[in-house]
Amino acid sequence: MTKYGHAFVIGLQSNLIYRWNFAVRSLFWFFHLVVVFILWGAVFAGKAGIGGFTFAQTLTYFVVVFILQFFIGAFNEDYQISEDIRNGLINQFLLKPINYFAYRLSVFAAARVVSGFFGVLALAAALPFFRGYLDLPHEGWRLALGLPAMALTAVIQFSIAYCFGLLAFWFLEIQGFVILSMAVENLLGGQIFPLDLLPHAAFNAARFLPFFYQAYFPAAILTGRQGIDFAVQGLAIQAAWAFILVCLAEAIWRRGLRHHTAAGG
Amino acid sequence: METLSRYLRIWFASARYSLVRATMFRGDLFIWALVEFFWISVNVVMIGVIYSHTALVAGWNMYEMMILVGTSMLIQRFLMAFFWSGIFEMGRNVRNGLFDFILAQPGDPLFMASTRKLELDGLINSFVAASLVVYSAAKLGLRPGVGDIALYAAMVACGVVIHFGALVIAMSLAFWITSSQGVEGSYFTLMEFSRLPKEAFHRGLVSVVFVWILPAVVVSNAPARVLLHGFQASWAAWLGAATLCWFALSVLVFRLGLRRYTSASS
Repeated sequence: MTKYGHAFVIGLQSNLIYRWNFAVRSLFWFFHLVVVFILWGAVFAGKAGIGGFTFAQTLTYFVVVFILQFFIGAFNEDYQISEDIRNGLINQFLLKPINYFAYRLSVFAAARVVSGFFGVLALAAALPFFRGYLDLPHEGWRLALGLPAMALTAVIQFSIAYCFGLLAFWFLEIQGFVILSMAVENLLGGQIFPLDLLPHAAFNAARFLPFFYQAYFPAAILTGRQGIDFAVQGLAIQAAWAFILVCLAEAIWRRGLRHHTAAGG
Repeated sequence: METLSRYLRIWFASARYSLVRATMFRGDLFIWALVEFFWISVNVVMIGVIYSHTALVAGWNMYEMMILVGTSMLIQRFLMAFFWSGIFEMGRNVRNGLFDFILAQPGDPLFMASTRKLELDGLINSFVAASLVVYSAAKLGLRPGVGDIALYAAMVACGVVIHFGALVIAMSLAFWITSSQGVEGSYFTLMEFSRLPKEAFHRGLVSVVFVWILPAVVVSNAPARVLLHGFQASWAAWLGAATLCWFALSVLVFRLGLRRYTSASS
């Protein structure tokens, strides 16, 4: 366990080197929130609510989704893993008693601590502008179920990124796959619009996809868009997806290693 | 005239090389074409979902909004096709010293850096974005004349120049901050505003910054309005002025940055 603790600490240090990149990303986040504010402000103009929710509730949803991305979203883990494979750096892990998934998960956790810190800073800077438009529910169960949902979301996000990164065992260039998947994840993950605005049948179908649990699900629990029954059922589906994706990551890793040729001294 | 012809020859040579390369990596071309198509689809789905709950957004109906978003995407696809790769790689090349290779080439460094690659996937998807505009115009029963279409095309070209300027300015930061990783995000963030109708901006400072100071709104709203409402002199003048300003500013920033470039070889 200690070795992964060290990996976490080294991950913290190396991510702090790129603190300006995180700071710049936080600034983009602020502008992205301005776009959301203007667009959804225009959508809600003259209406008490849409899909059963007010403008404040919808804006709160987006703010929570964005903050969650800083704390539990996978940013460029897929790229880092693919670089490890492409450059042969993966070889050093094959020669040591280190589980590559656990190592990468430790580094991912460290990166999210740093990006989460900058996310909170960005939120603090944005709050004076948006405070009057935020509307968070106060039921205690939302936090009790929201936190495990967030943890499972982190596992799902990381596992998907890990699987895409491992494609570098077979493909020289994986960025196309990654950005392709990003489009699907953003759409079906609820980052473009709250998924409950979809037609009922489409929403019910989306519930059984892993993307649903990448952003929408924890945000919907925390912001009051879904009730306790939905949250409990969702947690079960989310846990199943987390398990499936971790197993899939392990399977791809094993197959990839069979395909891998370690060259050089 | 001779200079123009020389640069055209250089560009054709780069374009021919890019096309040959694209046909060698057909799988890659297919994936990237699919990527761009998916992102266009994401925007269309978003519009569809929003308009399933409301008839108008800032006074624009669904097909008018699709013309706006389609125009914004069309401009972006052209940028992706003609300039993106070269400018994006510029940031990386400045850091690792490979920019020497550009400086050694027989032409203006900004031209050589930005036109090195022609991306076929962006070009393919510009047809998808254009189809979205044509489909939406047909749904609205619009019958633009040849003049309107020519003006629309000219305004889209102005939009590409403005996008080019914004991206060059963003990536030129590499001359100062060395690592430009993620800086391209500033371009995408800025251009997110181009998918919004001007009428949605009615809150003080935001409107001043994103409508009047930065070119994010005019770049897509001006051409879309030509199709929807015909020629409007104020929008044309505004777009023309923004094009000149942003192109000049990008050349200035690039040249200032170039003075700081010290290579990276050992």
